[in-house]
Amino acid sequence: MEITLLLNTSMLLTLTIILTPTLLPLLSKTYRNSPTTITRTVKAAFLTSLVPMSLFTYCNTESITSSWEWKFITNFKIPLSFKMDQYSMMFFPIALFVTWSILQFATWYMAMEPHITKFFSYLLMFLIAMLTLTIANNMFLLFIGWEGVGIMSFLLIGWWHGRAEANTAALQAVLYNRIGDIGLILNMAWLASTTNSWEIQLSHSPQTPILPLLGLILAATGKSAQFGLHPWLPAAMEGPTPVSALLHSSTMVVAGIFLLIRTHPILTTNQTALTTCLCLGALSTLFAAICALTQNDIKKIIAFSTSSQLGLMMVTIGLDLPQLAFLHISTHAFFKAMLFLCSGSIIHCLGGEQDIRKMGGLQKTLPTTTSCLTIGNLALMGTPFLAGFYSKDLIIENLNTSYVNTWALLLTLLATTFTATYSLRMTLLVQTGSTRIPTLTPMNENNPMASNPITRLATGSILAGLLISSIIPPTKTPPMTMPITTKTTAIIITILGIILALELSSMTHTLTQPKQGTYSNFSSTLGYFNPLTHRSSSTKLLNNGQQIAQNLIDSSWYKKMGPEGLADLQQTTAKITTTLHSGLIKTYLGSFALSILITALLTH
Amino acid sequence: RDKYRYFACLLRERFDKNKDVKDMVKATELLRAGEEEFWANQHPQPYIFPDSPGGTSYERYECYKLPEWCLDYWHPSEKAMYPDYFAKREQWKKLQRESWDKEIKQLEEETPADGPKTEALPPARKEGHLPPLWWHYVTRPREIPM
Repeated sequence: MEITLLLNTSMLLTLTIILTPTLLPLLSKTYRNSPTTITRTVKAAFLTSLVPMSLFTYCNTESITSSWEWKFITNFKIPLSFKMDQYSMMFFPIALFVTWSILQFATWYMAMEPHITKFFSYLLMFLIAMLTLTIANNMFLLFIGWEGVGIMSFLLIGWWHGRAEANTAALQAVLYNRIGDIGLILNMAWLASTTNSWEIQLSHSPQTPILPLLGLILAATGKSAQFGLHPWLPAAMEGPTPVSALLHSSTMVVAGIFLLIRTHPILTTNQTALTTCLCLGALSTLFAAICALTQNDIKKIIAFSTSSQLGLMMVTIGLDLPQLAFLHISTHAFFKAMLFLCSGSIIHCLGGEQDIRKMGGLQKTLPTTTSCLTIGNLALMGTPFLAGFYSKDLIIENLNTSYVNTWALLLTLLATTFTATYSLRMTLLVQTGSTRIPTLTPMNENNPMASNPITRLATGSILAGLLISSIIPPTKTPPMTMPITTKTTAIIITILGIILALELSSMTHTLTQPKQGTYSNFSSTLGYFNPLTHRSSSTKLLNNGQQIAQNLIDSSWYKKMGPEGLADLQQTTAKITTTLHSGLIKTYLGSFALSILITALLTH
Repeated sequence: RDKYRYFACLLRERFDKNKDVKDMVKATELLRAGEEEFWANQHPQPYIFPDSPGGTSYERYECYKLPEWCLDYWHPSEKAMYPDYFAKREQWKKLQRESWDKEIKQLEEETPADGPKTEALPPARKEGHLPPLWWHYVTRPREIPM
């Protein structure tokens, strides 16, 4: 009994600690927030959230808390209920750890910003929304968190609102998320009408119709940038690097996948939904991997790799393995945030330079950052015994040994190869080789605020895989027996990708002009998707609007009802009568005579 | 860089071979072929410096750049933080008002009849005049704000 109480109290305490910097300035007149206070708050919250996690690990406690119902219709109640189960309790420490590191990094990175405290409070608001989403037991609270992260994403991507591209990117993020929200609201409506409650654990019905599940998948497509609604994620790199690290690598983009994990019991019943997830995930992971191959901006490469890993998570959900997806979310958070922070450190040291064609030979000048970059890339590729291995290898093993779509399997394997290729390309171009940076760039790693978070996350990416996979008890038996080729598929493919990258890089050193083949064009313009959809949808909409307006208002009311209609009627009558009155007298006389003759003959 | 010089010499050679073509039709065709080749040989992802238009850092700090007339709205306690600037500020503004007509007159005289040809402003020509539109140049906000 006491253990549950301790669990509940500590989780709620974590949430309250997070809320403190937002509430304290309102209550006391002399208290001002500052970046350091917010960082320390998040660190305290992280340490507090380790308590429930260890309680869960050792005593297997889970709890659902309900309090304060919002009764606005008599039989439909929305309680404020928190679900502290495996997923939320494991996610809290991870998210808080990553956020703490990112906030510490941001105190160095954003030191020149005039409104740095506002930036930090935005990040804190985002964290609150994300944690609400995680801990929500009913769809209403989840929806609040969902919208919250969408709005904070908009505000944070458009942080430098003087820049036109940042504004368009923020708009893109909000619009694509909105399209996904339609799916979520559809699902909520269905849940409300059929099961009369928005709690998550009460939705176990034997066969769920496909429509609400498609709504959920649409919501995940929008939020997690799967293939159809993906352009906002690379465009979101317009925001400052800490924003990219927090939102678009570890936390927000996994909100969609988290939703699917939470509602997994109803997804399991319908095989079509699972197959949709699988194919969609495979397509998005391959597409993102193709696009990442020819990008030249570090942040875009890492953005596309995030997109690719999200597709992989979707594939895992399609394989009916929510726990593995969650494992991948957790491990991915560590190394992706670390990759973003390393790239932020490099960008800042080079004075705002983001193009890898202008970086090289950084291994000697920035040793810590580059080694952490290498560790991150290796973890991303799924090197044995680093973090990515535990999740990625398991996913690929399961993919190989289950009776699913071979097409999805092939796409995912190809995407894994490409992951290795572009990661290695990035590593090689950024760190090794002769240096291409402009001369006289003073760069250093002396500031501990910048290097401590990176090294902390590096330790995390090395250890987290082992720790988390040994803590979570699996609910399904993982495949144990398989032929040696299947077991080592992931490693073989990764090595193939590495060899490919090395070959290509040695080829490009001897070329003089960049060739424009069909494939490189496809990849560099992101598969022609952006201009096609953006322009076609808006022109279609405007054209339709113009047609409707023209036909309804202009032609109908102003023309046909009034003058032109009358004129047309008169014209037609006039034409008919003129054909009748042709004025040919001889013909008339002739017909007159003919008719008189006929009547005379008849009557005779 | 040496490779660039090599290819530049080859291109120059090609160009010089066709230099004496007097036939207008052929010359236009050559020009068109040259322009098409230029377009086909463009780099798919050209490198853009961060601060130039289209770059990653372009216009990033526009939202922090305030116009200079905001300085008139400062509280006197804030103005007391920069006494020497604000002591001279009224004189500067008076100077701007006085020289404005002369600047306009100079610009009107110096632009050709159908509009200005370049964006460059002419320098001050006469003794005692100030270069035209100097106020916007002198009071522009700094590139990377504090």
